[in-house]
Amino acid sequence: MTSSAHEGAQGPHHASGAAPVALEAIGIVKRFPGVLANDDVNFDIQTGEVHTLLGENGAGKSTLASMLCGLYQPDAGRILRNGVPIELPSPRAGLQHGIAMVHQHFRLVDRFTVAENVVLGSRDLSFKLNRRELNDAVAAVADTYGLPVDPTATVGDLSVGQRQRVEIVKALYQGAEILLLDEPTAVLVPAEVEKLFENVHAMTQTGKSVVFISHKLGEVARISDRVTVLRNGCVTGHVASKGQADAKELARLMVGRDIDLAAQRASHPIGHEVLQIRDVNLTMNGVNVLSNISFNVHEGEMVGIAGVAGNGQRELADVIAGLLSPTSGTISIGGAMSTDRGPIAARELGLAYVPEDRLGVGLVPSMSILDNLLLTRDRNIVVDRASVMPEATRLIDEFEIKANGPEHMARKLSGGNAQKVLLARELSGGRTATKLLVVCSPTRGLDVGAIETVRRLLDDARSAGQAILLISEDLDEIMSLADRVLVIYRGAIVHETPGETASLEKVGAAMAGLTQGSA
Amino acid sequence: MRAPFRLQFEQRTETPKRLGILVPVVSVFAALIAGALFLLATGHSVGDTYSNMLSDGFFSSTGITDTLGLSTVLICTGIAAAFAFQMNLYNIGGEGQLYVGMIGATWFGLYFGENLPSFLMIPIVLLGGALCGAAWIAIPAWVRARLGTSEIVTTLLLTYVAASLVNHFIYRSGSYFRAPNTMFPQGRQVPDSAMLSPIGDTKMYPTFFVVILLSLALHWMVRRTEFGYRIQVISDSPRAARYAGISARRTTVQVMLISGALAGLGGATLIVGSFQRLDPGIVTLGYGYAGIVIAALARNNMAAVIVSGILFAGLRSGGDKLQISTDTPIHIGVMLQGAILLFALGGEAFRRYKIRVVRTPAVRVEVTA
Ligand SMILES: Nc1ncnc2c1ncn2[C@@H]1O[C@H](COP(=O)(O)OP(=O)(O)O)[C@@H](O)[C@H]1O
Ligand SMILES: [Mg+2]
Repeated sequence: MTSSAHEGAQGPHHASGAAPVALEAIGIVKRFPGVLANDDVNFDIQTGEVHTLLGENGAGKSTLASMLCGLYQPDAGRILRNGVPIELPSPRAGLQHGIAMVHQHFRLVDRFTVAENVVLGSRDLSFKLNRRELNDAVAAVADTYGLPVDPTATVGDLSVGQRQRVEIVKALYQGAEILLLDEPTAVLVPAEVEKLFENVHAMTQTGKSVVFISHKLGEVARISDRVTVLRNGCVTGHVASKGQADAKELARLMVGRDIDLAAQRASHPIGHEVLQIRDVNLTMNGVNVLSNISFNVHEGEMVGIAGVAGNGQRELADVIAGLLSPTSGTISIGGAMSTDRGPIAARELGLAYVPEDRLGVGLVPSMSILDNLLLTRDRNIVVDRASVMPEATRLIDEFEIKANGPEHMARKLSGGNAQKVLLARELSGGRTATKLLVVCSPTRGLDVGAIETVRRLLDDARSAGQAILLISEDLDEIMSLADRVLVIYRGAIVHETPGETASLEKVGAAMAGLTQGSA
Repeated sequence: MRAPFRLQFEQRTETPKRLGILVPVVSVFAALIAGALFLLATGHSVGDTYSNMLSDGFFSSTGITDTLGLSTVLICTGIAAAFAFQMNLYNIGGEGQLYVGMIGATWFGLYFGENLPSFLMIPIVLLGGALCGAAWIAIPAWVRARLGTSEIVTTLLLTYVAASLVNHFIYRSGSYFRAPNTMFPQGRQVPDSAMLSPIGDTKMYPTFFVVILLSLALHWMVRRTEFGYRIQVISDSPRAARYAGISARRTTVQVMLISGALAGLGGATLIVGSFQRLDPGIVTLGYGYAGIVIAALARNNMAAVIVSGILFAGLRSGGDKLQISTDTPIHIGVMLQGAILLFALGGEAFRRYKIRVVRTPAVRVEVTA
């Protein structure tokens, strides 16, 4: 716990005045079969700073962090701790040097309590645990950094945000001076992100250093003292200090080209009604999930449904797609009734549906792209893959899907490419030409490059005259794409406004259930 | 004290193709080595025992034909298990379905046999056995599909019922299945028209080839047909199946019925083959349970079941003959079978993980000071 008191910054390329360099990686190379995940990467962390590693999925961020914490071994390069070369053969060795990583996928035991998880792996535990002392010790660490956790709670009962907090407390309890947080915000809702940022500040105030990994530009600009951008395993830029980080510049460094996420609206006049929902109610297990929902979507129109997750969006999409039957009310697609007729009938009327979960619902992970294209189509008794092959090849080309061809397994696609496969299938029509496209959170978890592509695809589909229902928690996305915005709250539509003139405040308030007061 | 090195498991993103072959082969050898240690410890000759087992099981003309003859029923119960397992339906009651298949086959043979010619009788008896095997799994299939009741428990429990049924039909006096006017309870032999003759001077019956063709056909069906496609979708992600309008319930019932039918067919091949009658001795042989092992060895691949079924049959028949040819107890063969399974399943770890030897350097205790 004395690291901050020591002068370690001997690296020649670090100017005076900066805080001492706590950890430095020089010329790191890491190869995986077929990929150069890190190519001659230099990276350093000063004491008490937040240094962000920014890059698209697959850029090599996690790989670099895993080497800094001792999980992976670099193929070449050196790591210095306070200027002294060190070896990190295991995460335990990393911990001994005060380096800990919070992984994207948590490594907690669900059935243990918070305190048990925190002390798990500590070598110096006595055989018989003194629970009281343990709980107090864990609570003390948590309080120091304003991380509210209940040491006696069972981890399996905690939310994702709370679990992440447990991971952080665990790292701090083990004496981490340098914390590597791998995409910590990916699993958090906005309020939790704010809380996390407060915790990060509390940590840097006491001289801890934080390596923050992310591909979300907005938050990176806010939290970082310095940003290092990775692309395809190479460092493409450093952006020096807080406030200077310009999102456009970061995006260019990250993706390698300019990114345009400007608002897009219908460019043609809208046509006939395609989707018609009348007084739909849905009760599940005695709970009203959807109440009196009525709205239409027209040809060439994109209607956005905004709302905080869990307010009935998923069920609404399932009802339209024929996966759930409404308790009352009717749904028609292209003028024909589709209520209670099941998913295949809905598709025969021209429905296409991109569900929220790509792998596991929209796509079968262990199947090839080709087989996944067949999922929502008519298949003969003997599945005729050969005849779909040319189309699969064409779609991979047309949608710029990065894959080794139609036989590429869905599980091995990145999030963005999986989403493109899903969109390719749903937009290209199967049983009939697509008339109505229902899309849920189409860009969640994607990096900017892929977000731009997906938005363009949706806009193209709208221009081609398809009716689109965009259901998303991402308010920005809805505001910049939808021609009409509906807000769903506790299963009811509580607000409607044209997209062009929608006010962020009013829509946000409606999402929080504050319509009555402000109306 | 710390070890100078330790083993680290790294998860593979992809399993290299060659490991698919290498792992089972190495597993068999590792099992043989383990068996050798056991033989040495118990004072038997390793060389003699193994060479006897191999020649009695595989490398003599009677050895290999006996093995192929025995493999017929084992491949049946193997594909029965594999077919259900691939959809994560754990039908471990193939044993019971086999008994009921035998009962059914015998009944069809006794009932129609006198009047019909052989070319009709053989298919009738085989299909009758399959039908009864399917019937025996119908209730587990239905409650699994409707209520989600574990098929592991229901199919296993019904095996005990099936065993009692076999005994009942043999030991109850005046039973339709019991040979009349015999001192000892014994099954009534099916008419000649319901029996196949062995091929030449062997213990192989033409049903062997039927079963091989059936395995290959199922292999093709899983890979190439709409039904196989549905199975793949459901086994990987039931939610994707729902999304695509594929009924998991219906497919669950269908797959389980087919699995039961295949096990039942295994029982019927015994009737038209070497058994010729309902024989209570079947309940000690464990052919149905062996199917579980055979499917696991073949990693539920229908075509690979042919290989693992023959391998298993050879070990078994070679092991059984040990007792006759040498003084080695029969349990050696049984032990080896167990060892092979253990190593083969343990070998899975090598397919899924890369194992690295990491040297642990002397740990510096001081951290930063
Ligand atoms: N354990 C691994 N085995 C093989 N390839 C890997 C492994 N981990 C990462 N990779 C590959 O290395 C590249 C960088 O991955 P990663 O560091 O996870 O990227 P990021 O965290 O920036 O999204 C990717 O192409 C990825 O597929
Ligand atoms: Mg990563």
